[in-house]
Amino acid sequence: MEHILSNELGRLIVGLIVVLIFSQLNALFLVWLERKVAGHIQLRIGPKEVGPYGLLQTIVDGLKLVGKELITPKRADRILFIIAPVLVFVPVLVPFIVLPFSKSLPLNDMNVGLLVIFSFSTINVLAILIGGWGSNNKYALLGAIRSVAQNIAYEIPLLLSVLSVVLMTKTLQMSKIVQAQGSYWFFLIQPIAALTYFICATAETNRAPFDIPEAESELVAGFHTEFSGMRFGLFFLAEYTNVFVVCAVATTLFLGGWQGPFGFSLGIPGIIWFLAKTYLLVFVIMWFRWTFPRLRFDQLISFSWKVLIPLALANLIITAGVIKLI
Amino acid sequence: MHPASVYTDFMYISIFLLVALIFAIIPIIISYLIVKRSKGIKRDETYESGMAPIGPAWVQFSIAYYIFALIFLAFDVDVLYLFPVGLAYGNFHIRDFVEIVIFIGILSLVIVYAWRKGVFEWQRRF
Repeated sequence: MEHILSNELGRLIVGLIVVLIFSQLNALFLVWLERKVAGHIQLRIGPKEVGPYGLLQTIVDGLKLVGKELITPKRADRILFIIAPVLVFVPVLVPFIVLPFSKSLPLNDMNVGLLVIFSFSTINVLAILIGGWGSNNKYALLGAIRSVAQNIAYEIPLLLSVLSVVLMTKTLQMSKIVQAQGSYWFFLIQPIAALTYFICATAETNRAPFDIPEAESELVAGFHTEFSGMRFGLFFLAEYTNVFVVCAVATTLFLGGWQGPFGFSLGIPGIIWFLAKTYLLVFVIMWFRWTFPRLRFDQLISFSWKVLIPLALANLIITAGVIKLI
Repeated sequence: MHPASVYTDFMYISIFLLVALIFAIIPIIISYLIVKRSKGIKRDETYESGMAPIGPAWVQFSIAYYIFALIFLAFDVDVLYLFPVGLAYGNFHIRDFVEIVIFIGILSLVIVYAWRKGVFEWQRRF
């Protein structure tokens, strides 16, 4: 017992430090990537002054944010206003415990891994609602309400599409889900679930074309209108980390995790495969943003209830039936 | 399942939460310490596109959101029940398939009902 604990403790501390550094670097990199992608799609070149290819631009921006004054509006609910940006950041590191970067690298391969990820990523909605309500600002409140309505609408098809995979693997453990797709990846046999998951993941992270909560042309900045300086920075960090996490989960569930195509690893280590697939999906999400126009709010909500949920339910029943036939 | 591993799981999650909390608070504290404060009567005013804010934001909003929340509640609780089903699925001959069809069939009635009631048609009815 003593031996296990000391061993686990070492693994935990090393893992924690790596996760902390990785999540920060990842967010910095993604912000830079988004600006570069946006730039090139709009025939600009994006940031280029600070560092090689403008790579250090986000670090400078981050430092600037720390140096900005934190303003709490006098009408705001002070406690809620202060809690919200902290609350949005607190759960974002937890999914990294179970993400299977390679065969031996889920930090702690819990048998309820998937559930842990989904339960902690839902706290995000709570923080958005608290922030929007606490601001006592009309734009912020509208953004927060829309965000909650959208998040709960897209959460159901998200869970249903994940359930189709769980029915096939009969486990919630991330490493076993990856191992179950040895020769073929699950998006080949579960194309509908994969598509549903990806659409919902885009909506859950409030990314365009589902960025109604922060639609800048109508709501200024949505739920984070009133947040300045590092408080805004925390919302930003959390958003980009969440984008990475949903893409990593998509990689695990549908793209074979750390495995190469059809079981051939081509001599490339698993962690490279995993990160390559994840960042490919992240790129696709950024590509969405500069390709699709924003939906109107009622269209957005009814798209989930009328199309995605029936589709996901049907897919679940068909999956259950086919498993019985085989 | 080995009991020690449950404690390990809890340890991992609680320490990660704790460190994330510290990590979120530190930059805010640094910010408080180094930042030069501005003055002015408009500084703490709520932002409303440059105008003086008219009334608080804490007012009534569309009841449509409430109905969505109700449907969600009905659904989400039921979807949670499907996770254990997914783990145990296939242990019985044909019974579990019939059961899952009945369960999802009844669940789908929520959507059919809301659809028929016109919840998804967003009009000025409320």
